[in-house]
Amino acid sequence: MELKDLIQIEIPKLALFVPELIVLITGFLLFSLDLIYKRLSHTLAISVSVIGYTLALLYLVFNFDLTGETFYGLYIRDSFSSLLQFFMILLTIILLAFTLQYQRFKRSLYGEFYYLLAFSLFGGMVLASSYNLLLIYIALEAVSVSFYILTALQRRDFTSKEGAFKYLILGGLAIALASYGAVFLYIYAGSFDLRHVLHFNAPDKGFLILGLVFFLFGLAIKIGVVPFHFWLPDAYQGAPTPITAYMSSVGKIAFFAPVIRVMPLVQEGFHNTWVLVVGTLAVITFLYGNFVALVQKDVKRMLAYSSIAHSGYILAGVSVASAIGLKAVIYFLLAYSIMGMLGFLVLAVLERSGSWENKLEDFDGLKYSQNFMAWVFAIALLSLLGVPPTVGFLAKALVFMSLAYGKLWWIGILMIVGIGVSTGYYLRLIVLMFMKERERRVIANPTGFEKASMILMAASLLILGILPMLLWNYISPTSEMLFRR
Amino acid sequence: MELVPAVFPFIPLSIVLPLLGIVLIVLLEEKFAKWIALVFSGAVFVLSLVSLLYFDFSQAQKVQFYQSITLIEELKLSLSFGADGLSYLMYILTTLVSFVAICWSIRDHQINHRLKEYYTWFLLSESSLVGVFTSWDLLVFYVFYELTLVPMFFVIGIWGYKLRLYSAYKFFVYIFVSSLFFLLGIVSIAVEHYRQFGKFSFSYFDLLQNQYSLAFGLFLFLLFFIAFAVKTPIVPFHTWLPDAHGEAPTAGSVVLAAILLKMGTYALLRFNIGLFPEVAVFLMPVLVLWGIATIIFASWFTISQSNVKRFVAYSSVSHMGFVVAGMFLLNKEGLRASIMEMFAHGLTSASLFMMAGFIYNRLHSFNMQALRGSIRFMPVFAVLTAITGFSSMGLPGGSSFWGKFLTIMGAREYTLQLALLVLAGAFFSVLYMLYLLKTLYLDVKEEGRLVHFTDVRGFKLVAFLLVVVPMLMVGLLPFLFFAFFDAHIDLLLRMVLKSLGGGLWN
Repeated sequence: MELKDLIQIEIPKLALFVPELIVLITGFLLFSLDLIYKRLSHTLAISVSVIGYTLALLYLVFNFDLTGETFYGLYIRDSFSSLLQFFMILLTIILLAFTLQYQRFKRSLYGEFYYLLAFSLFGGMVLASSYNLLLIYIALEAVSVSFYILTALQRRDFTSKEGAFKYLILGGLAIALASYGAVFLYIYAGSFDLRHVLHFNAPDKGFLILGLVFFLFGLAIKIGVVPFHFWLPDAYQGAPTPITAYMSSVGKIAFFAPVIRVMPLVQEGFHNTWVLVVGTLAVITFLYGNFVALVQKDVKRMLAYSSIAHSGYILAGVSVASAIGLKAVIYFLLAYSIMGMLGFLVLAVLERSGSWENKLEDFDGLKYSQNFMAWVFAIALLSLLGVPPTVGFLAKALVFMSLAYGKLWWIGILMIVGIGVSTGYYLRLIVLMFMKERERRVIANPTGFEKASMILMAASLLILGILPMLLWNYISPTSEMLFRR
Repeated sequence: MELVPAVFPFIPLSIVLPLLGIVLIVLLEEKFAKWIALVFSGAVFVLSLVSLLYFDFSQAQKVQFYQSITLIEELKLSLSFGADGLSYLMYILTTLVSFVAICWSIRDHQINHRLKEYYTWFLLSESSLVGVFTSWDLLVFYVFYELTLVPMFFVIGIWGYKLRLYSAYKFFVYIFVSSLFFLLGIVSIAVEHYRQFGKFSFSYFDLLQNQYSLAFGLFLFLLFFIAFAVKTPIVPFHTWLPDAHGEAPTAGSVVLAAILLKMGTYALLRFNIGLFPEVAVFLMPVLVLWGIATIIFASWFTISQSNVKRFVAYSSVSHMGFVVAGMFLLNKEGLRASIMEMFAHGLTSASLFMMAGFIYNRLHSFNMQALRGSIRFMPVFAVLTAITGFSSMGLPGGSSFWGKFLTIMGAREYTLQLALLVLAGAFFSVLYMLYLLKTLYLDVKEEGRLVHFTDVRGFKLVAFLLVVVPMLMVGLLPFLFFAFFDAHIDLLLRMVLKSLGGGLWN
């Protein structure tokens, strides 16, 4: 064998990689700006970020049908990655509408915020578009490390540090497990490419199972699957609230992306094992998440547990390794990213009111002083609960449908129990906001941008629920494509 | 089932008009809210009456005014509206009672704050109720079915009486959680359709073709039944109802009792019997006895109430027992009885709740003892309540007579003992209604306080007349109403007969 057979020089098709490249360049630009200016002006940083992301978004929209592989098959662009990346960038842009006032209120001086955001976004985008274990590993790190720092960004706040510390420790464990998993898979199939690994048919499947288990446990920690969830409530509570919103939406899409990519590949051979393991994890996750959320007094923490519960619902769909399950999961993931983010962003705005502590009592009669915020929050909560005609309802119906398809009635019925429990805490907030008498005024003045973004998100929750085909027409072919692979 | 396309979009318009009203209410000042609501719900009511001219009674088994828009082709999820006789009757009841509720609210003392929201919720509830009774896509049906919860939740929680928070909460949780089983059932039969025919479908007409093994059918039947048993409600799933009805403002109770409960019985008839006739036949004895037990237990609970609103609420449960028992007799008389009772109870319960609300406005008490003789100086009111009370207890000529009489007839077709059981149930319902009338008319109270009572008039009189006149119509001219749903009953019975291999009662 000659050397040239071993080494094939490939010219990277950069056209496939442009959005990531733009985001990366934006990140470095922000980094340089932060170095140049001792105190980076938030306005400048936000403008640069928004311009960069918008360019990336526009490129994505106009080249939505672009597909292909590059970097020696490390990187794949298909409709799945485009769809997920579109949502990640869009949500990040929306998030930036909320950071300026928040940072001012918290008197934050950190320019790091913006370039870390860019790097984590970059990581997330790469996560959505690779089958390669090595690349997934690196992208996972890119997202996670940024998240650790972002969580700790409020230096004076004890909970912020505590959350970041827990996140760091467990995140380190996750990375270690995932890399072990990757190694075992490599030993099994001699490749880092998941497509190759999972279609490889060796007589002894010991290493495959070991590898997959470790790899999935690594990801499970990131997603916040019970019993690997311990960092999540603390990190979500401690992080600056816009970052929490970011972690619960973009972060969730990013971390779920590899799981969803793997799901269609795992069908033959150990289908039953997959159903049993993932299904059980899902059930434990949403039951635990909902029950614990029920007793929370702190609303931010409550939403964090609700985020865990939603990971469970999504995982329930993942356990049905069929095309309909995949469609349900993608729909649910994207739906959750909007409603989860909206929930936390409302808190981010309310926190600017002087004595606001995210306690349940703070919400008493919120409708009287903050009519707009109360309505937006109520829509987010109803969607999280899954009341028609919001998108949350449709997402849950689709998951139910895939469970029925997989004949997993037990998961379906336990999921009803989970949702039943969740009515407790979502409704309690609505009752407090609308039906209690006013006790004190809450002064939080959302800016025009913030209002517009919130209206946009709340409206999209309703519109995607009433006209599901807007999203479905992208998701359905994408899922079919992933399954044919 | 055959579909007849619409000549004019009566039904979609009935759904959209209230929503337009909401937009206007939100945009305009608070003082206009009630008039906008009145105009828009009145317009929908008139619309439904006009559509009566276009409804072909000779073909009431067909789905008329049918219109459909596909949402997701792959899942055959579509917004499809239309009405056969049964749907149509319920549709008219909805538009009528919604209008009555808004008429009543206009001069209600309880409704004095947050008017914009109040009327918004009532219009939303009207819109979604019309959607419930006329949609033929199961998932869309579910959407409307659940959507009706939200307005009532707020209405009870904001404008209700003392225990309103607790009641609103209980109401929502009970029904929301039980309906999730229904959702699981819907998607399961859609998937089953895929297994049998190679494509998903949520359309009722497609799903009628599914075949189920008895065990699987039983499982699905139960998934559906849990939801509707809570919604209807059947003892012992009824505990949310007295709280919700007792604490809701008058107009809220009216809508709740008159229409929201009918969603449960309508769905039992449409889905449980329609989709799973074999299972319905198989479970018939249990369900009939369960229905009768509901009548008797609820009657006992009723008599023991000291709060007049809870009294009326429990009496609703007992009437629902007749609906359920009649329905699952699965013969012509039983089904007729059931549907007649659904309509009749819609009217009588609305009227009884208005009666309770009216007296509360005068006396500021729901206590039965305080009501004694309260009716003496209000002649018009006395006439109205007398008609309602006698109708409700099933006096011939009153609206509930047909429900009760036909149930007994239907039961007699099986055994004498069963008929006697139903008769006992009917006896109990006479008992509590007589007790109520006795308290109102015959018990003496110091007359000094009563002299100042003004009689019912204005909008309240309109509201009363709008339910009392149809009440007499149901009682005296029942054949007008049979025309709506007899064809549908034949269709149902044909389905049941087809599946009747070895029923237990023949």
